[in-house]
Amino acid sequence: MTDPILSVRDLRISFGSRQGRAHVVNGLSYDLAPGETLAIVGESGSGKSVSQMALMQLLPVPPARVEGEAIFEGRDLLSLDEKEIRKVRGNQIAMIFQDPMTSLNPVRTIGHQLLEPIELHLGLKGSAARERAVELLAMVGIPSPAKRLDEYPHQFSGGMRQRVVIAMGISCEPDILIADEATTALDVTTQAKIIEEISALQERLGMSLIWITHDLGVVAGIADRVVVLYGGQIMEQAPVDDLFEGRRHPYTRGLLASLPVPGDERPDKLSAISGLPPDPLALPPGCPFMPRCPHAEAVCRDRPELRAPVPSHRVACHFDPSDLYE
Amino acid sequence: MTDTAAATESTQPVAHRSRLQMTVSTVFRNRLAVSGLLVLAVLILVAIFAPWIAPYGVNELNVPSRLEGPSLAHPFGTDNLGRDVLSRVVVASRVSLQVGFIAVGIALALGVPVGLIAGYYGGRIDSILMRIMDVLFSVPAIVLAIAILATLGPGIFNAMIAIGIVYTPIFARITRGSVLSLREAVFVRAARSLGATDGRILGTHVLPNVIAPVIVQTSLSLAFAILAEAALSFLGLGVQPPDPAWGRMLSEGRGFFQQAPWMAIFPGLAILVTVMSFNFVGDGLRDALDPQQRSVIESRGVA
Repeated sequence: MTDPILSVRDLRISFGSRQGRAHVVNGLSYDLAPGETLAIVGESGSGKSVSQMALMQLLPVPPARVEGEAIFEGRDLLSLDEKEIRKVRGNQIAMIFQDPMTSLNPVRTIGHQLLEPIELHLGLKGSAARERAVELLAMVGIPSPAKRLDEYPHQFSGGMRQRVVIAMGISCEPDILIADEATTALDVTTQAKIIEEISALQERLGMSLIWITHDLGVVAGIADRVVVLYGGQIMEQAPVDDLFEGRRHPYTRGLLASLPVPGDERPDKLSAISGLPPDPLALPPGCPFMPRCPHAEAVCRDRPELRAPVPSHRVACHFDPSDLYE
Repeated sequence: MTDTAAATESTQPVAHRSRLQMTVSTVFRNRLAVSGLLVLAVLILVAIFAPWIAPYGVNELNVPSRLEGPSLAHPFGTDNLGRDVLSRVVVASRVSLQVGFIAVGIALALGVPVGLIAGYYGGRIDSILMRIMDVLFSVPAIVLAIAILATLGPGIFNAMIAIGIVYTPIFARITRGSVLSLREAVFVRAARSLGATDGRILGTHVLPNVIAPVIVQTSLSLAFAILAEAALSFLGLGVQPPDPAWGRMLSEGRGFFQQAPWMAIFPGLAILVTVMSFNFVGDGLRDALDPQQRSVIESRGVA
């Protein structure tokens, strides 16, 4: 593997609350290669979004406490001061949020909003900035971009708004684009189109992509590598093909089993992992998945190390996953 | 709202009307608001050209013709010193409007930033700022204004400052309330994630979204500020004699109400018409911009 563009090491995030400290991310480490697409999957509350917001120092501190390091271009993102991190935000690392209906300001024109990062980071003004904005809208597949620049968000449909949001994200040609459930709020056909367009843009601009999702279908289509999070810890990390075909952590297996299969005998019933995700206020001392794991044994009361049965494939389980299923 | 075919989306005809155009057309469909606007326009013109419109000097004494009823020479009659009531009412409109606009301007300039900062940063800053506002808010408006004037001394400029301070918490509260819901808005987070500074976010993303209730409150507050000035002048704390002010003229006319009711009726009517016009315009603006909001002042019943 080439030198990673981003190295996250032992990232820990907790939030102070009246009930005590909520440990949301617990020792997360991963690398991101240039041009790579890394999918981060997990249930709601598994720490996916929070771990990415932390990279750009977008969490309110306090109540949040962020520890660990995230090395990007030789600097630790987590220890940059406000002024320095502002130059990274939107310029080198950009983020796309989930809901296109609310991620645009309703009272300002699309053009104004699209020009914001361009003005902030590239220092373009006036007609040069406008040209760039038109070019960006065209790039994300919005027809007659010059005309639409002066319209307001309510004049755009959901899919079109998400395209605008993506255009804002890529406007400064970032090195890393973080898509936080960027297509979850869209219908399936629009979703497929947007994913296609983001992949094309990624190739064109040479960006690395971090794709946060709980949609394993999307993961299979777009990702190079997958990180499976549970209780703020990595359960499994593998190239996408290995994950879908190879040996798996019991949790990953549960996630895959809960996908509906077309042509299944009982399509009216979806299988789910029984139980609830762990309470971040009271994490089990051992394997966080133990209370819900069908294979749990006494040894699971100790926290499993992230082991690598194959160099590219890491699993946090006391058992060799292939033993469990064969 | 869902979209099925991305290609057809942009070809849908959409009404290309800006928010401003929509607001204006809604206001103009409201008859009361339109008549309020017309009256205000006339009032403002009268105030600007008062020295040329007034047929007599404001302090032109003519004791022999004192307490004369309305006539062709003196349409509004004369007061106890023989001064022309019409001239005094006309010239006093300047003071009233001036005090109204400047006092509300002060309240806006203090209240909106306080509300923005308190709402956006939250936490301790919010608590401190809003508790100060609560203290101001807890004292009845006119009593607070009198207390401030007692400290600063009577006079028209001090009256403006006093009224401005009295209305500051209203603007701070309205602004803060709107900012609180915006602070968590995704587009604010998105702007931060794109590298915008706090100042930029407040100015370009938060302020334009809170401006509607603030505009409505401004027009309603103008009415109350004018009323408050009249009350203070009535009590002798605002405009000082011999300068004319509607409130002063009311209090001077009180003593002669049996013999010369016109001394009090005409300045009273002037106050009534002005305040009602501002209220009609404010209500019209509220219907157009902010149908859900009920004025804080209204529920408080001041002045």
